[in-house]
Amino acid sequence: MSDYMKSLLFAGILCIACSSLLTAAASGLKKIQQENLLTDQRKNILKSVGLVEQDKEYTSGDINRMFHDSIRRVNIDEKGNLIEENQTAGGDSEKNLPVYLYQKNGGAVQAYIIPINTRGLWGEILGYLAIKNDGQTISGFTVYKHSETPGLGGEIEQNWFQSNFIGKKITGPSGEFVSISIAKGKAEDTVGEEKMGNYVDGISGATLTGKFLSKGLKDVLSGYEPVSIIFRKKLQFCKTNPNTPWCKK
Amino acid sequence: MKITRTKSFRTFIDPVWGENPINIQMLGICSALAVTVQMKTAMVMGLSMTFVVSFSNLIISLMRNAIPRNIRIIVELAVIATLVILTDEFLRAYYYDISKQLSVFVGLIITNCIVLGRAEAFALSNPPHLAFIDGLGNGAGYGLVLITVSFIREFLGSGNLFGVRIIPEAFYAAGYEDMGFMLLAPAAFIIIGLLIWLQKSVIED
Repeated sequence: MSDYMKSLLFAGILCIACSSLLTAAASGLKKIQQENLLTDQRKNILKSVGLVEQDKEYTSGDINRMFHDSIRRVNIDEKGNLIEENQTAGGDSEKNLPVYLYQKNGGAVQAYIIPINTRGLWGEILGYLAIKNDGQTISGFTVYKHSETPGLGGEIEQNWFQSNFIGKKITGPSGEFVSISIAKGKAEDTVGEEKMGNYVDGISGATLTGKFLSKGLKDVLSGYEPVSIIFRKKLQFCKTNPNTPWCKK
Repeated sequence: MKITRTKSFRTFIDPVWGENPINIQMLGICSALAVTVQMKTAMVMGLSMTFVVSFSNLIISLMRNAIPRNIRIIVELAVIATLVILTDEFLRAYYYDISKQLSVFVGLIITNCIVLGRAEAFALSNPPHLAFIDGLGNGAGYGLVLITVSFIREFLGSGNLFGVRIIPEAFYAAGYEDMGFMLLAPAAFIIIGLLIWLQKSVIED
């Protein structure tokens, strides 16, 4: 056998050995990894309504128990109508928007949580935005997956950036929808007094991440606007539709 | 014969001190800057590195007589990459939060010169048991520097060690402030520079 053939044979055997090892590991650990991912998402949902603190450690059991106690998932279509649970399985997934409702022990809705899925500079940004039951005030924002530059755009996962969102509004002074945007630099230096409620401080050195995130938030929020309107006009709405999950007392 | 005279012992202790991969050979600096903000991540990174470098040394040394010379770098990299991905998968399954913090840096062990350097310089020309010990020594040398740097950074930068508050609240009330600079990468650069200076002057004496 020539040297050439020997090299080829060796390389072939090595490839098969390495790839079967990796396949075995990847498929063997997949279940646990997916559970971790789900727990992490749930943790972020809980964090966006302030049920989970940044620096404390939680077991996955804690997270799942808290999630089942206080969070309920509903699906809506693009007009804001509820989709029954049994319909979702075969339904058109694009028109199927999930909303998480924060109900303390199954009581009245305190806040609703919208999943954020937007483009970033280098890849997707995934997170959650929680809005209080007045349909205007943000109660929290979290990011659980992104691929922005560490130290620059990567700061979106940090507490200082996320806590800026708390108390800001997605509506203007007369109650119309304006979304929430990331300012270029400090919000107080770059936007006027009257718009301060709709801007959060930007990250220096990460203008593009902020730009993509602002646009993404606007797109997502305008898609969920029907739900926000229900909350803003809750009194009226609940008179005619008292049995919807939004109106639970 | 005393244990300190055996070849195995020398193979282990040389890379920990006299031939330390970071402080003396200046390899693997990039990851040492990135993962040393907290002791926990530094330790996991040190352990991952030790695992990868010792087992890649062992496997390559076992195969050293069979590897065709003309494709040896490819073979070495395939072995290293497989081990790194195995480590990454394992961390993602059992230490999810830490693996999120380490993000790309576990994957980047593949490109860490220490691993390929040891495979080329040592594993290809030494028997398996020595190669394995050499890997352990290099991993330990790398890990010790990481832990030292992260100790200084976490202690001065956030007042914690392993995430547990060390500096009492009373200090903060009295006006003490954490050194925010320690949390940034340049701080690690300066600390590593000082460590190199210290170690070289100790060795020369």
